[in-house]
Amino acid sequence: MTELLVQQSVNWITLGSIYALLAIGFSLIFGVLNVIHFSHGDVAMTAPFIALAAAQALATVFGAAAPIWLVLAVLGAVLCVGLIGVALDKAIIRRFRDAPAMMALVATVALGIVIRELIRHLYPQGSNPHAFPRLVSGVAFEITGVPVSWFALTVVGLTVLLVALLFVFLHKTPLGLRIRAASEDRIVARMMGISDGRVFRATFLVASAIGAIAGLLFASYAGVTRFDFGVMAGLLGFSAAVIGGLGSMPGAIVGGLIIAGIEVLAQTFVPEGASYRLVFVFMLVIVVLIFRPAGLLGRTIMEKV
Amino acid sequence: MGGSASPAAPGATSAVATSILLQLGGAALLYAILKAEQGWQVLTLLGLLGFGFYLLERFPWLSDFATESLARVPVVTAATAAVIVLGFPFVVGSNTYILHLLIVAQLYAVLALALNFQLGSANIPNFATGASYGIGAYVSALLALNFGVSFWLTLPIAALAATLFGFIIGIPSMRTRDTYLALVTIAFGVVVHQLLNNFDWTGGPNGLVGIPAPSLFGHSFADPLNVFGWKLPSQANFYYLAAALVVLAIVTANRLHNSRIGLAWNALRADEIAAKAQGINVAWYKVLAFAVDAFLAAFAGTIYAFYVSYISPDNFTFLVSVTIMTMVIVGGMDNIFGVIVGAFLLTILPEKLRAFSDYRLLFFGIVIILFLMIRPQGLFPQRLRQYGGRK
Repeated sequence: MTELLVQQSVNWITLGSIYALLAIGFSLIFGVLNVIHFSHGDVAMTAPFIALAAAQALATVFGAAAPIWLVLAVLGAVLCVGLIGVALDKAIIRRFRDAPAMMALVATVALGIVIRELIRHLYPQGSNPHAFPRLVSGVAFEITGVPVSWFALTVVGLTVLLVALLFVFLHKTPLGLRIRAASEDRIVARMMGISDGRVFRATFLVASAIGAIAGLLFASYAGVTRFDFGVMAGLLGFSAAVIGGLGSMPGAIVGGLIIAGIEVLAQTFVPEGASYRLVFVFMLVIVVLIFRPAGLLGRTIMEKV
Repeated sequence: MGGSASPAAPGATSAVATSILLQLGGAALLYAILKAEQGWQVLTLLGLLGFGFYLLERFPWLSDFATESLARVPVVTAATAAVIVLGFPFVVGSNTYILHLLIVAQLYAVLALALNFQLGSANIPNFATGASYGIGAYVSALLALNFGVSFWLTLPIAALAATLFGFIIGIPSMRTRDTYLALVTIAFGVVVHQLLNNFDWTGGPNGLVGIPAPSLFGHSFADPLNVFGWKLPSQANFYYLAAALVVLAIVTANRLHNSRIGLAWNALRADEIAAKAQGINVAWYKVLAFAVDAFLAAFAGTIYAFYVSYISPDNFTFLVSVTIMTMVIVGGMDNIFGVIVGAFLLTILPEKLRAFSDYRLLFFGIVIILFLMIRPQGLFPQRLRQYGGRK
């Protein structure tokens, strides 16, 4: 029993960290644009494909598949996805800033379809699942006989590091200050001379890059990547961000941990739980929103007439 | 007439001519699109359609003139529409593929009209229309398969079951709003899909097979339809059934729009707090919108189940709900005619893009994004309510 608990706790923290990273992207973008970027999950899941393609290209150009190519490819993919996010914002998403919220939602769902189809057509045999290597292998240590992998430690460590960096970025740098100002009130921020173009670029770069890291970790955790992983990644990340409270960073982390927690719990303790896990996850989402309509850590805004 | 933008109010004769010609022209265009096979034909027709909408955008009085003409001679308009709808299968003849497309398009038109009560009238996002549609289909199919209940009896039962579901989703809607409400409905949709996919008694991922064809006055819907010596394929039965449902949905939508309920929904859309201050029971009208949506969607689901005689959870996914939502937005929120056009366009377009085979979904996504960017208010934007007598 103890082994099971420890094993599942490790799984929970690992998966929870990945969801939290995805949720942070949703929350950041929503905070600044007030727009749900529903294709964020799809953007994030392009990263494993870009990394695979880049690693292969590097290996063919320089011969011999060395681990260093994979590391370079992964870093390149993160940067690349960040730029994709910026480009999508410039081309499409920013046009829906002032549109009714549902318009943006539908447009980004359509954008998600386009991204998935592009992966499917551009990547060789894109319709098939592709194996994705464990980025870090080996066992770090054992607790009560349960091996804890370096991968799990890397995921958690990376998440903590990224959250800390994001916090410093948002709270200690001039650009972070501008982003927070714009998410507080875009119009007033503009009157204070904050160029919203720069704010949007920075937000999308950061959010998409963090999403790309989550996507890479997710593919590595699952050992496989598919062109349509983005749908579920998007739905779960979005749910985590919403039940935590959109626009709240701690909320996104709490939301990610809760979603992963219920998923792991359902898989471990409910018979046939694996096939019903999404039912449990989304039931929980409904219950949370009934009792906390603005999410767990969201601010309830008093409406003025 | 208040519309000062229109250069001249149509006279009776010109109104009759406009009404008949417009509808015949629309039907001919629809037929041409349905008939088009080659990629270039589809593209030409799409270009033509685009040009038409460009004209409407450039000269807004065109659409005012058309609507006023149609409204001025309601009897002629209705009669022409009836002749076109009734006569279409005769023109199509034995082409069952076109009939199939039309049936599906009509069912989607009903679904889009159902969603329009919420999204269009009251601006409540609902991503669970696909789930209500699925519940309607599954309830009626299960009743027919397990208890041999007749199609005509399953219709109201399925509708009631789905309405109950609508009330259940509606309850959290009293507390949440906007994006949060959208997520609640998405969550409901996913839960329903996953349950249908996992329960044994719903057939799991394989779904339900062999739903019997309905029959009316001894005439089975699986048999070809004989009308005064004309032999129509069996799909024609369902075509007329779906058409009847569309008419019912239009009448319902019209009546609700012109009633106090429709006005209350519009007030909700304009400003929830102001509506509350005017003594409108906000919670009740929100829940009502969900219930009405689920009720109509279940009708469509029942007809779908009996028409294809095979349903599986994949017919009722989150993407189906998104498609229905896109139809409402593309057609024009709170505009009954626009919503129907949106439903037909978005049902037929992906089929026609089969000419581009594997790239179909890609094109579909791009078309939707471009559309939302170029014409965000929809093809036919909502019209202002008009009160008082006409001049």
